[in-house]
Amino acid sequence: MFWEAYAAGKRGVALDLDAEGDVADLRRLAAVADVVVTSWPRALLERLGLDPATLRADRPELICTVVSAFGWDGPKASYADTDLVVWAAGGPLAPHRDGDLPPLRISVPQAFLHAAADAAAGTMLAVLARGTTGRGQVVDVSAQEAVGVATLARVLATAVGDDHPEWQTTPGVRTGRTDQSGSGAATPNSLKKWHCADGMVELHLSMGPAAGGFTNNLFAWLAQESAVSEEIAAWDWRVLPERLVSGELTHDDLDEARAAVRAFLLTKTKAEVLDAAIGRRLLCMAIFDMADIAGSPHLAERGFWGEVAVGERDVRIPGRMAQVRGPEGPRVRGRAPALGEHNDVVLKEWLGRA
Amino acid sequence: MTTDALAGLKVLDLSWVVAGPLIGRTLADFGAQVVRVESSVRVETARLMQPFHGGVQDKEGSALFGNCNAGKLGLTLDLKSPEGQQVVRDLVAWADVVVESFSPGQLAKWGLDYDSLRAGKPDLVMLSTSIAGQHGPWSTLAGFGNVGSSLSGFQHLTGYADRLPMGTFGPYTDYVGPRLALVTLLAALENRRRTGEGAYIDVAQVEAGIFFLSPQVAHFGYDGTIAERHGNADAQHVPHGVFACRPEDGKDRFVAVAARDTSEWRALAVAIDRPDLAERADLADADGRRVAEAEIDEAIAAWTAGRSATDVEELLQGVGVPSYLAVNSDDYPTDTQLAHRGHLVELPHPTHGTTVVEGPRYALSETPGRPRAAAPTLGQHNEQVLTDILGYDAERIAVLTEGGILR
Repeated sequence: MFWEAYAAGKRGVALDLDAEGDVADLRRLAAVADVVVTSWPRALLERLGLDPATLRADRPELICTVVSAFGWDGPKASYADTDLVVWAAGGPLAPHRDGDLPPLRISVPQAFLHAAADAAAGTMLAVLARGTTGRGQVVDVSAQEAVGVATLARVLATAVGDDHPEWQTTPGVRTGRTDQSGSGAATPNSLKKWHCADGMVELHLSMGPAAGGFTNNLFAWLAQESAVSEEIAAWDWRVLPERLVSGELTHDDLDEARAAVRAFLLTKTKAEVLDAAIGRRLLCMAIFDMADIAGSPHLAERGFWGEVAVGERDVRIPGRMAQVRGPEGPRVRGRAPALGEHNDVVLKEWLGRA
Repeated sequence: MTTDALAGLKVLDLSWVVAGPLIGRTLADFGAQVVRVESSVRVETARLMQPFHGGVQDKEGSALFGNCNAGKLGLTLDLKSPEGQQVVRDLVAWADVVVESFSPGQLAKWGLDYDSLRAGKPDLVMLSTSIAGQHGPWSTLAGFGNVGSSLSGFQHLTGYADRLPMGTFGPYTDYVGPRLALVTLLAALENRRRTGEGAYIDVAQVEAGIFFLSPQVAHFGYDGTIAERHGNADAQHVPHGVFACRPEDGKDRFVAVAARDTSEWRALAVAIDRPDLAERADLADADGRRVAEAEIDEAIAAWTAGRSATDVEELLQGVGVPSYLAVNSDDYPTDTQLAHRGHLVELPHPTHGTTVVEGPRYALSETPGRPRAAAPTLGQHNEQVLTDILGYDAERIAVLTEGGILR
């Protein structure tokens, strides 16, 4: 399914890299391309004469994008890699722990998707530069570097002298620092997951000036349905950090507020929570699986889906990574090719082969 | 001599937190002039988020904010005031590109939405980024990237099979949305270069996130399979896990280890002093190893437990087995591969002396990108933007200042 989704809309040429004639064809295709993108190992590219230096020697206008786990060169460039290994090397793995268990990745591969999106951006930057200079260039993409962004700048902590590896998030305890993000980025997982009537809900009880208002909205909902004491319902979560630091409110009070939320959400379905999040402006969200996503009326109305044939079936895949007015935006244009499906037409159109 | 890929490009950045600002950050790295508008009264969330210089929470000390906004010019403005909105209109007249991340509909209330702005500027390229997009039943949904990661499926897909969903580290779609937004924006700029045509780009974090789960979407569409979380296990490779090593300085240390094929598996088994496992016929392929996964993981864990994570990485990579220390904040500045690529960049900072940001993730050989300066402090470039870019005279600036507009 990886192939069916991410090769959708491409033409497919199958060649035998052990056959000199096929490799010669590959070099000829590269010689007429505007852009060459590859994630093949460096040693293989150099053996076949398909490395950027060779390809660009006679064609300085060519853009060569090379995607790899660690980059084209450097002390670890030839390291063996997998998605998990890159996730470890680039920073997102280590801080992501569930209690005392070892660090955790997302259950499906992600690292090279970040690198692929970066490769597309790097390539487009080179295309724009070529529009001015007429020259192409090499775009050398490192997946290890790509995933640093997926740590919310955690990778920079030591570099800027922040030595609190276990960031405290609730004011008035230990470091006294507050997680004032709206996302609860620095708040422990167990405090952000809640059971509801038919599944689970993600909810961070945000506090502070930037995002505390959303929590006020939540407690207004509880108060309306008599699910919380009047005293707690009257809290202003925008100034709660100060009240906790001053000792005016305690963490036992916070626990009481949480208990009210917990009991309340058990009476609501995912759909009700989603509706309330929209209608009442809450930072409270149903945790969707693939079936929920497929059934989303929002995504259908936005024309998000593309439909491609997989074997005998028509299958929906994400069709638009962004929606564009004016020029036609990016969209899935067809199914993924079968092995060698377009050998004849590509060799004819690109190389004039009869 | 190298030039800049985006030399001459002028960008007005009205976005905040992470998903929007990261777009302009890359544009600035590659030579665009980016003016970022923010409020010094309603301080933007990223300024309040870790990590902080010296570990001290301060609105001028967030390394997250610094990483998202390096190289931009900073203007503080009261966008709710008509005078502030007029400054934005003047900046739009100057700009080629506008990036914004207000709640859908907000800019229209101020007459600063795409339809209003393009009336006087048909070649404007404008990008809006939001949780669920500018139209549709969910478009008024408030939220940050953690809402995006719930609705796009990532929350459900991260964690152990027998435990609560753990969710991603931070607001995951904030890391995905801006990458896909940037590609689309750059394509729109290339289209404008060729045709003179502007564009409006509507990026939804939820949709961008789902794009990164396309295979799982396709699987459901094909036969109804609902992808589930399964710890660090992998659909193809066994073994595939994260193992505790010898603690260092009282801190837990871990290493990621995987084997992609039989030869890597056998090399691994020999390396961990278990040649008996290497020789076992039932473990020759991944299916067989999956049956014995617990036994294999135990053997690896027994071997890693007494060794340093760095030693494990080097020993295993030495025999061609995929492995890497689980790099933490302490390791990141000294990782030799990242250092070779010059990934971390030191920049002068008016408050902290120097600060550190991540460099670009792609090295362009002819027009390399680099952060040009630290992120702006609040209002740092008010004078420069209003005088040099907009040509306001001192009197006009004084009126804005006294009127409380430049806050």
